[in-house]
Amino acid sequence: MRDRGILFILPLLAFVAAFIIVPICGAFWNSAFQDIGYLQTRFVGLGNYRQALSDPAFRQSLKFTIIFIAVSVPLELALGLAFALILDLDLPFRGALRACVLLPWAIPTAISARVWELIYGYGYGLANALWTGLGCGGPVNWLGTPWRAFGSLVAAEAWKTTPFVTIILLAGLSAIPRDLYSQAKVDRANSLQIFWRITLPLLRPAMLVALLFRTIDALRVFDVIYVLTHGGPGGSTTSLSLYAYKYFLNGDFGYGSAISVALFLVAFAFSLAYVRLAGYCRALA
Amino acid sequence: MMASFCLFPWLYMLLVSLNDRPDFLGTQGSIGLSGGHYLAVLTERSLHFLDYLRNSAIVALSSAALGTVIAALAAFAVTRLDLPGKAAVLFFVLAASMFPQISLTGYLFRLMTRLGWINTYQGLLFPYVAWTLPLSLWLLVSCFSQIPKELDKAALVDGCTSWQVLWRVLLPVARPGIFAAFLLSFIAAFNEFLFALMLTTDHGARTVPVGIALFQGLHGEMPWGDIMAASIVATAPIAAIVALFQRHIVAGLTGGAVKG
Repeated sequence: MRDRGILFILPLLAFVAAFIIVPICGAFWNSAFQDIGYLQTRFVGLGNYRQALSDPAFRQSLKFTIIFIAVSVPLELALGLAFALILDLDLPFRGALRACVLLPWAIPTAISARVWELIYGYGYGLANALWTGLGCGGPVNWLGTPWRAFGSLVAAEAWKTTPFVTIILLAGLSAIPRDLYSQAKVDRANSLQIFWRITLPLLRPAMLVALLFRTIDALRVFDVIYVLTHGGPGGSTTSLSLYAYKYFLNGDFGYGSAISVALFLVAFAFSLAYVRLAGYCRALA
Repeated sequence: MMASFCLFPWLYMLLVSLNDRPDFLGTQGSIGLSGGHYLAVLTERSLHFLDYLRNSAIVALSSAALGTVIAALAAFAVTRLDLPGKAAVLFFVLAASMFPQISLTGYLFRLMTRLGWINTYQGLLFPYVAWTLPLSLWLLVSCFSQIPKELDKAALVDGCTSWQVLWRVLLPVARPGIFAAFLLSFIAAFNEFLFALMLTTDHGARTVPVGIALFQGLHGEMPWGDIMAASIVATAPIAAIVALFQRHIVAGLTGGAVKG
């Protein structure tokens, strides 16, 4: 049945090749050209990459993207771990709770970002209603300064993506044999010791999976920033994806492609690490 | 507390959508409930909300259906048939699922422009199918490989062709996995933003997330009540899916992810 196998997988290969592999190669190709709508297309080799390295706006968006990952991913992991531990308890309404936790993950980011935009709204948003209501001072422009905008974005992103981490870690928790816990209780270990000595070490593979997934995802963050800050104030929250998008929007395909290729290479390195880690190919094939 | 953390933005959305003034938190005590915003987004033709909703439903449902069928065929080939370089195929498809979308959009935009597919359903459908395939493939491969091979060996001995083995033996047993793949692809396609932003221009093909993100008032003031009413209508089906099928979704999200 040698040829039959190829027949069955051909549609998938065709789709992935035509709409993922070829576009990536196209981006590599385009990145070597000066390719702006109204100008003559011209080969520039690595010129676009050199231009990026000397562009302060590029460095700013690189810096933003790295700090965004460094702050939001650990926060999501911590929150997700807490949620997973709660959901792993034998609580009433577990099913309903799990559905609540899934909701932020399932609704479109662009829509939830719109709600966050309203929450952060200056005149009548929920954030300021709470802020002034609790007597913390006058209304605050939550998206107005670079650091506030950054914090607001991280909060919105953490809300959206913690459910994913929770689900992955919950699966990891449920894979831990229960008799390990009862054995530890027989040995008079307290719950903190059980957590540090049993739960956390055995949860490490699931944590790594969640960490890599979230890192790759945060690396390409776009929707939430596009809606909430549009990269502002003053370009301070422009992620690499948004930076490249703005060039595509202006018809500068060469430079935009160079940025997206750079982003691709980093993401690809992470995903190779992930695929190796998971060891799928060996296990499944 | 955890539930309220997850739900409060959605509840706030509901509250604002039902209120006749979005600034009710700022102006003391003028809370008047009304369904006016719902009436507006559902009947006002110039807001095009129903168009966005229809576009999203068509594109997401058809790409999820097509993607699941293609992934099921491929998963069958990987788990049951003789295929050279299986490991390499899985490896590259899984890696492909993690590519940043932005690195595809530049080329796709030009491709769709050349084909005249900007602002059409097929212009979104094909990239969406490709985009959701890796996830479905991975899910279905791990689902199929859990089904004992003795089942299809018996069917082969009985003279079934490999096509019949897939159709009569595997698919009925794998129904939960296939449903999970369909649900996850549907949610992914329904939520997709960047492709839809680049590849559509107006209500002819624009999907709900982009429609709501670009929703502007006609007179400068942001029509928050309308936006939130539209958001509620758009997310209600998703919330219902999550409530009804959370087991499938959780199983799908974790299918194989933690096994390694």
